[in-house]
Amino acid sequence: MDVHSASQRFLGLTARRWRTGAVPGPLAQMLLVAVGYYAAARVGFAFTLQPNPISTLWPPNALLLAVLLLAPARAWWWLLAAALPAHLLIELQSGVPTAMVLGWYASNCSEALIGAALVRAFAPGPLRLDSLRKAGLFLLCAVLAAPLLSSFFDAALVRLIGWGESEYWDLVQRRFASNVLAELTVGPLILTWATFSSARLRAATPARYAEAALIFGGLFAVCLVAFDLPQIDARAAPALFYAPLPFLLWAAVRLGTPGAASAIALLTVATIGGAVSGLGPFTDRTAEDTAREMQLFLIAASVPMLLLAVALEERSRAEREAHEQRLQLTHLARVAMLGELSGGIAHELNQPLTAILSNAQAAQHFIANKTGSPQVLSEILQDIVLADLRAGEIIRRLHTLFKRGETQFRPLDMNTVVGEVLDIARGDLATRSVDVRRHLGESIPAVSGDRVELQQVLLNLVVNASEAMSAGTAPGRRVLTVCTGTEAGMVKVSVIDSGPGFPAEQHERMFEAFYTTKAQGLGLGLSISRAIVRVHNGHLWGEANPGGGASFHVTLPAA
Amino acid sequence: MSYVAVVDDEEQVRKALTRLLLASGLDAESYACGKDFLGAIAKRVPDCVLLDLHMPGMTGLDVLHELRRSRRTLPAVVITAHNEPEAREECLAAGAVAYLCKPLDDRVLLNTISASMRRASGGHAIPGER
Repeated sequence: MDVHSASQRFLGLTARRWRTGAVPGPLAQMLLVAVGYYAAARVGFAFTLQPNPISTLWPPNALLLAVLLLAPARAWWWLLAAALPAHLLIELQSGVPTAMVLGWYASNCSEALIGAALVRAFAPGPLRLDSLRKAGLFLLCAVLAAPLLSSFFDAALVRLIGWGESEYWDLVQRRFASNVLAELTVGPLILTWATFSSARLRAATPARYAEAALIFGGLFAVCLVAFDLPQIDARAAPALFYAPLPFLLWAAVRLGTPGAASAIALLTVATIGGAVSGLGPFTDRTAEDTAREMQLFLIAASVPMLLLAVALEERSRAEREAHEQRLQLTHLARVAMLGELSGGIAHELNQPLTAILSNAQAAQHFIANKTGSPQVLSEILQDIVLADLRAGEIIRRLHTLFKRGETQFRPLDMNTVVGEVLDIARGDLATRSVDVRRHLGESIPAVSGDRVELQQVLLNLVVNASEAMSAGTAPGRRVLTVCTGTEAGMVKVSVIDSGPGFPAEQHERMFEAFYTTKAQGLGLGLSISRAIVRVHNGHLWGEANPGGGASFHVTLPAA
Repeated sequence: MSYVAVVDDEEQVRKALTRLLLASGLDAESYACGKDFLGAIAKRVPDCVLLDLHMPGMTGLDVLHELRRSRRTLPAVVITAHNEPEAREECLAAGAVAYLCKPLDDRVLLNTISASMRRASGGHAIPGER
């Protein structure tokens, strides 16, 4: 990955926009890092509880670490270099000696480098917080190890240069807590939003936007009451700490990791903002104690929410992938089955084509002989139209079956579905000389189902029956009976053949994937058919007929 | 005028072929299944029969076997919408004079009918043949 594509990723912009020149180049990215670093440092200074010398939350290091986690390693150096002017600009304003300013730049960069290198060693490529493993890695390496190791270095530099009066271990402890909280607040915010697909935002329904507004509005209101008002009764403080919890949980469950990270950031800003202004439950103690207690509270609230959001997103992704695989497999099996039916389909299409050609040539003869009356010619043209419509209908049905689409539940009349399936299989049944009998029940309730998937199930049963009879029954005795009716409140479709049947031990095995008795066949048809029927909350089973042959039954709940 | 029977379970095809034969100056009658055709030949024997291979119940091949059993030397042209080399061999072995695949070109069809009737009548001109 080159610098351009890396920067494109960390800015979360699409390849199309990159090609059209909308993505800023490396220089613009350096500028963005510098501006971001400067703004983050301003926030850090604003969140310093005087006379405590270390900010309660120091976001610049977390910003640098997040940027490195999204960029390729070869881009790390110039991205860190971009932060130096911003660092000098803000720190030199505060009257700190240049040696200390440079020392802090080194320790800030060391935190970003340690965290990014450790995470990258175990998770190559730009980090996405999309699995518990990666979230755990981020917490261990970026949130815990990087602030801890760099704080030893930072405190050593402070003591070496001789800036301030604080003790070494005191410095380590305060800087560590401040940076852990910053990593936990800023890191996930940047990582999740930078890798968030804008398509997901566009795909969100108005109801989802309203829900997000309700969550953040509610969280903001609760934070305002709990942390940004003068504390009236100190005894209410423990209860106030729990007040944002329902909204945090709501965000984690419904809005995914970007939502949870944003909610955590809002809680952190509101809590520290209130305390800095002398408001909220953290005000009746020393600045040092206030900072420590707020940090502990925010860390304890953030970690489980973040992990919960990641776990839920991972599970939802696994479900989406399983669903997608089922759709792919179902489609592949359908296409394979249509491949097996190709001879029958050709037969079925050739019939209207024959009617069209012979009718047209008959008309030519009538015209040449001057024997065709206008009425005869009109009848011929009418029959040509009918045959053409029939050929078009065959092609339309085939196209629907070949197409891959999402499962769409609609009210369906199973008698109609049976008719469509027998139409599709007509050529195959005809070439195998199978006599088809329909016993369709009257006034059958509709079922809620996907037309194409239920056609696939019945087509599979019809083709299996046709093949079984073709292989083991004399032509005159090949009878396929399709019955529909209701049974115990369910709609039942039965496909009964007069073939050789199947032995008792195959009763359930034939529904296993890759089990087949055919010379050519994947052995997926029945297992996929059963999976489709299960998705429709129905049952599919087979039984050997007492007098020979086999019966397969599908039951589906009435809509 | 030569009389040709058309046996096909597909109504549209049956109708179109009958029309084509009539338009070509032949007499034609159509039947929806092999049984109906076999029942009808007791009354009027056609000079040729166009026999669809794939029909439910009694197939075109079954009709050929039945014709052979009843010792009827009737020129039969088998027509099919699904070409299978093995079926072709079987039909020719069962007594079919030709095996044609749908869709049928009128020149090929009429030439085949004409040739098969000429062969059956020992090379004499067929009444009604143009």
